[in-house]
Formats: sequence, C-alpha cells, structure tokens
Amino acid sequence: MLRIDDYVEQLKARAMQKSVAAIDKKEVCTINANTMENQVPPELSQWLVDVANVRCKRAFTELFRFFSPKIKRFGIKQLGNEAQANELIQDTMTNVWKKAHLYNADKGAATTWVYTIMRNASFDMLRRIKSKGEVQLADDIWPTFADEQPEEVMFGDHLMEKQMFNYVDSLPEAQKAVVKGVYYQELSQEQLAKQLGVPVGTIKSRLRLALAKLKKQLGESND
Amino acid sequence: MINHHPKNDILTAFVSGQLPASVSVVVASHVELCEHCQQQVELITAQQAASAFNSASDNELIGEAPISNSEIDELDMIDMITALEPDTASVETAPVEVAVNSKLLTLPSALRQVVLKEWQGLGKLSRARFDLDDDEMRMSLLHIDKGGSVPTHTHKGFEVTLLLEGSFDDEMGHYSVGDFIWLDGEHTHQPVTQEGCVCLTVSSDAIHFTQGVSQILNPIGRFIY
Repeated sequence: MLRIDDYVEQLKARAMQKSVAAIDKKEVCTINANTMENQVPPELSQWLVDVANVRCKRAFTELFRFFSPKIKRFGIKQLGNEAQANELIQDTMTNVWKKAHLYNADKGAATTWVYTIMRNASFDMLRRIKSKGEVQLADDIWPTFADEQPEEVMFGDHLMEKQMFNYVDSLPEAQKAVVKGVYYQELSQEQLAKQLGVPVGTIKSRLRLALAKLKKQLGESND
Repeated sequence: MINHHPKNDILTAFVSGQLPASVSVVVASHVELCEHCQQQVELITAQQAASAFNSASDNELIGEAPISNSEIDELDMIDMITALEPDTASVETAPVEVAVNSKLLTLPSALRQVVLKEWQGLGKLSRARFDLDDDEMRMSLLHIDKGGSVPTHTHKGFEVTLLLEGSFDDEMGHYSVGDFIWLDGEHTHQPVTQEGCVCLTVSSDAIHFTQGVSQILNPIGRFIY
C-alpha cells in the first residue's frame, strides 16, 4: 500500500543518475550539441529516408533519441502512466522502423508523419485497455499508411520510373541497399561502405552485379 | 455539395485522438468525403505535431527531472526494434459494400473492419448496428424509406449523423450526402425525407420524444439508439 514513498525515492535516485549522465554526455559529445537542444533538427527527414532505404541503424538511433522523450510526455498525458507511456514509445518507434518506406517527404514534415504514427498507436492502445477491442481501428480512421493509388493518368516517365523501382526492389537485399544508396540518396561509394560497414570493394562488386541484373531485366522487357 | 461540417474544436479533438472511437469513425467518414475538412485536418495535424515535438519544454510537464529510460533500456529497445523486418505488406484498401434496401452502398473506409449486424425494420425506418464496443455509444446505419420521417424528438445524450445517401430536411435545414450533423439536448427536430436516405449515426443515449404519446414512441427511441 504505502509504496508511494519508495517510488518517489526511486524516481529521485533515477533523476540523479540521469543528471550525472547528462553532464558526462555534455563533456564527451560536443558535436551533437545542436541536436541536444530542443529545437527540431533539420536532419529528421533524411534520417527517415536512411531508415527506409538502407535500414540505417544509426539514423534510427538519432530518431529514437529525438522522439522518445517527447512520445513519453505525450503518452503520460494520454495514457496516464509511465509503463504505458514506455509501451507507446516502443509501439511508435517500431512502426517508424517498419513503415519508414511509407514516409513521403513531399507530403509533409517528418514530425507530422511521426505524430500520426504516435497518435494511431496511442488510440489503439487506449482501445485495447478500455474495451478489449481486438480490431486495430486507427489506421482505418486516419489512413496514414494507405498505399498511394497510382494516378489514373500516368506519364510515360513515371511509368518507367515505377518499373525501374520494381526492378530494383526485386534485387537481393545487399545489392538493393547499394543501388538505393548510390542512386536514390546519391551517396559516394566510400560513404556507403562506411554506412553499411563493408569494404569499398564489396560495394563496387555489389553495384556491378546489380547493374548487370537490371540491364538484363530491362533488355528482356524491351523485346 | 456539403454544407455542414464538424466544428473546428471537434476536428482538433479528432486529430489528437481524443474523440470516442465511434465518433472518430463518423468524423473520419466525413473527412473522407470532404475536401475542405481534409485540408483542415492536414493543417491541424501539422500544428499538433509541432506542439508535441517542436516545443522547447520537454521537462515542463513532467516536472523538474525528465523521467527517462536509462541508457541501457534505450539501447535494448533500439536493438530489438532494428532487428525487425520492414512491413512491406500492402494495406487492404478495397471498399466494403453493404446492401441497404436491396441497393448497394459503399461504406466509408473507416468502417472497413467493423462488422455490421442484421437489419431490423419498423415502418419506414430500418437500422443495422455496427459491432463496435465503445462504452455507451452505439453506432448504426439508419435507413429511412421514401416519404418517411422520425417523429419530433430531442436527444438525452448527443447524436452524430453523417448522411451517406439521399437527403433529408428538418426544422434547421436541408441535408445532402456528406453533411455532418451534431445534435444534443438543445435541439429538437423532426427529420423528413422525400427521396429516402441512409445515415451513419452514433448516439450516446436513447432519443426522447417531445410530442405525442411518449410511451408508444419509446420503443422507437430505443430502436434508433
């Protein structure tokens, strides 16, 4: 019953650790000073694109660091306790990781996209708690993830582009990541090697294999 | 042409996920039909996102010390999440159709997964409930046949209506497809339809008849709720 005092003590102890950790961090990590500020870092959108295209764990970690304290604040307000707020962080960030390819930078800010994911996760959590509703309704109510229906009138270029995307998607994962990194994100082979943690030579050979495969596919379909 | 829209505070509560599920479904169904409200929702969503993520007051609401996961928990969670595969399965978007009075009606997308129970008729009124657990709120499709009406009534709770097909009139105006109507105990009305209509409704309580012999009409009140 009278656990509240213990709990408060725990919180205090944790807050203490936290502020010590924060001081450590400030000394070690001065480069990231800008992102430690509470303003929105301009890289958010690029991080989402990196997660989508090359499953970049570092970019995801940056996203996690920026969003999780804010999701927690939202969660405590909406769901009323810390355990559920933590669950909301997990649900939201899992969906960010799994659905990053559905983020479209032309359609809105990264913060807006993550907000809709957080809101949907929170809505379905509340329903699970309140009414044991099994059906996940939020994505139907706010169709954030609805696949874009192809425009009825498509220009030749778009069709070709789309076909190209399909070919690229059919490549083996390792080759796909290289093609996407080089052609969609315009990374240098060196940058990509660093990001994927493989030697530059591997990037070169994967790229060669992938391009040969794409050429073959395009040749075949042009017959 | 849609003339009746949810008020701005309803749209804001909708965007923040604070409306009950059934009311959210009705607002979403209106937004799906209404370009004006789509733009509003977009705008409000961007604003809400800004206030959730841009504010410089991370610590204000929680108090002095931000309650945060320890560094180790955080890394665990990141490891666990990044081990998952991306979700590439495409989302089911085929429209769902139901037969109303032997005509097919396309349901709003928000109702894609909600089961519609069987129709029950009473004179020119018929209704089918949706199987959606939402406290005391009940959501139904209400069909009023040509020339039908609901006797003059008011609402003990509130009633949200979205006109899906046809049109109707009451003391306050003329309504056509896509119109969103929010009524409560302050409103008394008698909806009448010339051509017949189908509405999506959510009520929080039985309606209350203000004219005639209420005991006879009470079953209708419960029927419509």
